[in-house]
Amino acid sequence: MDNAYIRNFSIIAHIDHGKSTLADRILELTGLVGERDKKNQYLDKMDLERERGITIKAQTVRIPYRSEDGGDYVLNLIDTPGHVDFSYEVSRSLAACEGALLVVDSTQGVEAQTLANVYLALDHNLEVIPVLNKIDLPSADPERVAREIEEVIGLDCAEALAVSAKTGQGVDRVLEAVVRRLPAPGGDPDAPLKALIFDSWYDSYQGVVVLFRILEGRLKNGERIRIFSSGRSFEVTKLGAFSPEAKEFRSMGPGEVGFLCAAMRDIGDAPVGDTITKPERPCASPFPGFKKIKPMVFSGLYPVEPGEYENLKTALEKLQLNDAAFVYEPETSKALGFGFRCGFLGLLHIDIVQERLEREFQARLITTAPSVAYRVDTTSGQTLNIDNPSRLPDQQEVAAVYEPFVRLEVHVPHEYVGGVLALCEEKRGLQKNIAYLTSTRVVITYEMPFAEIMYDFFDKLKSQTKGYASLDYEIIDYRRADLVKLDILINGEPVDAFSAIVHRERAPRFGRSLALKLKRSIPRQLFEVVIQAAIGRKVVAKERVAPFRKDVTAKCYGGDVTRKRKLLEKQKEGKRRMRRMGNVEIPQEAFLAVLKAGEET
Amino acid sequence: MVRIFGESPAKKKPAPKKAAAPPGEQGLLLYIHVPFCKSRCRYCSFHSQAFNQVTYAWYLKTLLMEIDIWGRRLQRPAVQTVFFGGGTPSLAPAHDLDRIMAALRQAFRLREDAEISLEANPDTVDAAYFRSLLAMGVNRLSIGVQSLADKDLALLGRTHSARQAVAAFGLARQAGFANIGLDLIWGLPGQRLRHWMDQLKTVTRLKAEHLSCYGLSLEPKTALAGMIKDQALRMPSDRELANMYVSGSEFLESQGYIQYEISNFARMGFFCRHNLGYWEGRDYLGLGPSAVSTIGPRRFTNPRYMDAYDAAVRGGFVGQDFEVLDKAAKIREMVMLALRTTKGLDLREYARASGRDLVKSNQALVQELYKNNLIRIYKGRLRLTKNGMLVSDAIIARLAP
Repeated sequence: MDNAYIRNFSIIAHIDHGKSTLADRILELTGLVGERDKKNQYLDKMDLERERGITIKAQTVRIPYRSEDGGDYVLNLIDTPGHVDFSYEVSRSLAACEGALLVVDSTQGVEAQTLANVYLALDHNLEVIPVLNKIDLPSADPERVAREIEEVIGLDCAEALAVSAKTGQGVDRVLEAVVRRLPAPGGDPDAPLKALIFDSWYDSYQGVVVLFRILEGRLKNGERIRIFSSGRSFEVTKLGAFSPEAKEFRSMGPGEVGFLCAAMRDIGDAPVGDTITKPERPCASPFPGFKKIKPMVFSGLYPVEPGEYENLKTALEKLQLNDAAFVYEPETSKALGFGFRCGFLGLLHIDIVQERLEREFQARLITTAPSVAYRVDTTSGQTLNIDNPSRLPDQQEVAAVYEPFVRLEVHVPHEYVGGVLALCEEKRGLQKNIAYLTSTRVVITYEMPFAEIMYDFFDKLKSQTKGYASLDYEIIDYRRADLVKLDILINGEPVDAFSAIVHRERAPRFGRSLALKLKRSIPRQLFEVVIQAAIGRKVVAKERVAPFRKDVTAKCYGGDVTRKRKLLEKQKEGKRRMRRMGNVEIPQEAFLAVLKAGEET
Repeated sequence: MVRIFGESPAKKKPAPKKAAAPPGEQGLLLYIHVPFCKSRCRYCSFHSQAFNQVTYAWYLKTLLMEIDIWGRRLQRPAVQTVFFGGGTPSLAPAHDLDRIMAALRQAFRLREDAEISLEANPDTVDAAYFRSLLAMGVNRLSIGVQSLADKDLALLGRTHSARQAVAAFGLARQAGFANIGLDLIWGLPGQRLRHWMDQLKTVTRLKAEHLSCYGLSLEPKTALAGMIKDQALRMPSDRELANMYVSGSEFLESQGYIQYEISNFARMGFFCRHNLGYWEGRDYLGLGPSAVSTIGPRRFTNPRYMDAYDAAVRGGFVGQDFEVLDKAAKIREMVMLALRTTKGLDLREYARASGRDLVKSNQALVQELYKNNLIRIYKGRLRLTKNGMLVSDAIIARLAP
């Protein structure tokens, strides 16, 4: 098809600002979805996505549209995930577009978390069209919000569109603006094939389904393709686009967005960001910016009951088919028994995986506190990769510890700069730059240990800036740091699942705080629980949970026996959510106490 | 009070029988439920209804029929104890109780040394009543004193005064009751250790044979629980309660009362055989609405409401709708009940029933319990200490398989 009639765009919006409603309305207006099969948030397939109102996987929909000038266009709407954990996927989705709609709730204004994606879009030279939504509400103030967008982002709002995605008012103008204001994709149809993979997932019937955008060249069904990074080739068995149901094409050309299946068994066969070409006539260079997604955050997943280990293993296998960023390997904890060490993109990713395991696989889990991966040089000359704090060798065997550093960019209104700087300094950050984008808009750049942003950084940043900061980070390198292992002993026994790697100077304070947090999350029980935090052999904190003194049923005669026994059985059942270590019962929350240990107590 | 009653009366002590009969011949425990009360106490969640003549007459008739049914069904089995509980059994007129006793004797073989207990409320009794009870064979009284402070009694919603309670005890004694138990409640809202100890001092001067001291437990949906929830009242702290229990028990022991169960104390020879039977896992037959029975592996509960109870008795299907306790449930109950007593759990019996060694399969736990003075093991029995009894729910939950 003639690429002058193609428009590729995505929608950027804060949660609840109406992205999905607008997408639904566009699909209806163009006749793609009838009243009958209407379902809210059409694009969000997973239950979890619908419930949380977030998009985890990218989706695309090919929309045929006849414009007012009579031209027959194809609009490809690429829906992107919206969280910093998935910023790489977002950047790949945006790279497949020429433009974006920035949807802002005109009763609210620009929300901080939207900004990161707007800047990402601008970085990719996308044309951004502001859309002021919810103008049907009495409290809507589109003029004020338009001014705000101009001031904060620097986008020209003279031609901002005022719409109500709910009622459909103004949505036709949006489609016209997409056609008129967004550039058509370029690309030489006769050049060697170069297509960007911007998402992929595993389907039990089709194998891996790849979403792609053709930049140059043509692709026909049945042809062999080659994945640039791996050099592996596959035969295309299905080629088409979602509209919104899958629609097959014999051939697709530059500017087009679609899906393909090629008997790929493993989601790693088609990594996001990779380039598709053809083995007989490959393109000279791949699409820039390909990164192998690597898990950054590690956490132990353990079955609540040891007997559920095999079930959990099966669940993880299945889950991994659909989540290239998720990795796992078996590990054993002295405290928790057999389980898995799992790698994730970030904290939200852990949350999502945990929830999916519980929901889709009915797995019952104990999740240990997340950790980054450290590099350790030992005195014997080895280099170890330590993604589980309890595995850090004894101090005398450690020559040096290196921790991952990130470059962190915080976009923030100028009145909050002071607070953000203080927070970054507190988190061992190294200031790199402070730039005023506009008179009110500042970008603060820091280099900082990744471990520091894992804990409570997001929450603190949010409260420091009333939510008006947005942040983005990427891992840049590993740096040597004076890190030590902090152990937690429960009744004198070290509990590996509670170990943390912390900066030596901060270790005592961290230990005190962690011990206190544990004290608060471990309920009083039959025996005293003594919690100690220790660095090497030195105990830096001690807390105790006093045993309860009274827990007795005063009367138990003939008529009470059944009820009492059932109560006992129920009590036993309830205890299953707890992990017993020796004679101590530890609830799941306690394993996450380390996350909150940095907070003031 | 000492002035009124003089020194300990009770001259015709029934000699404690020591396993005179073989186990099969020991006989059933018989419980008769009398589900009527003058008014509901604020802490009580048991099944009872306000007394009214029509329902009462209906109840009596049905109960007599039920007694007859069971006597025939079990072929006039031996009975070692009878316990009239409630509700308020002493609301039943003496001549009716006499009819019940006669029916029992006809339907069952009441052993000569049978313990026959009746729960009495201080404000429903007089000397003549007590004399009648003795005459019909009731030989043990359990008087619901609850407290010797009128303030507490008002709080609990009792309809009698402390003075009435003491008087009732005196009347029973004078009538000739030689085995009298008094029920007390401790751990009331606002109560302190010294209040409880003062009460115990006063109570022990009465020289009753038996004392039941129940820690107040807030049953859901009772008036008292509501008052605590609304913060109109405050329960004593855990620590205060623990002190009341331990100091109270020690004091009673110093006065010659032997603790034989979590809440029960008695002079030597006056342990309540009926209740001990429950904790020792003996068979019991409960008659009357909502009464529970356990015979062998079968457990069943009579219908709670009169119409359903009546229908079950008339239809002859009372006791037909039973639950069969499986081995696991039986063992769990054995642990749960035996650990309530100061005799404790017979470890060999446990091993025989379960095929497991309780101590070996819970080694670390047992060690820790021992170290913390919560249990003792002596002569093949595992028992809870006083501190252990205070947390017996938690210990049992851990030890029961």
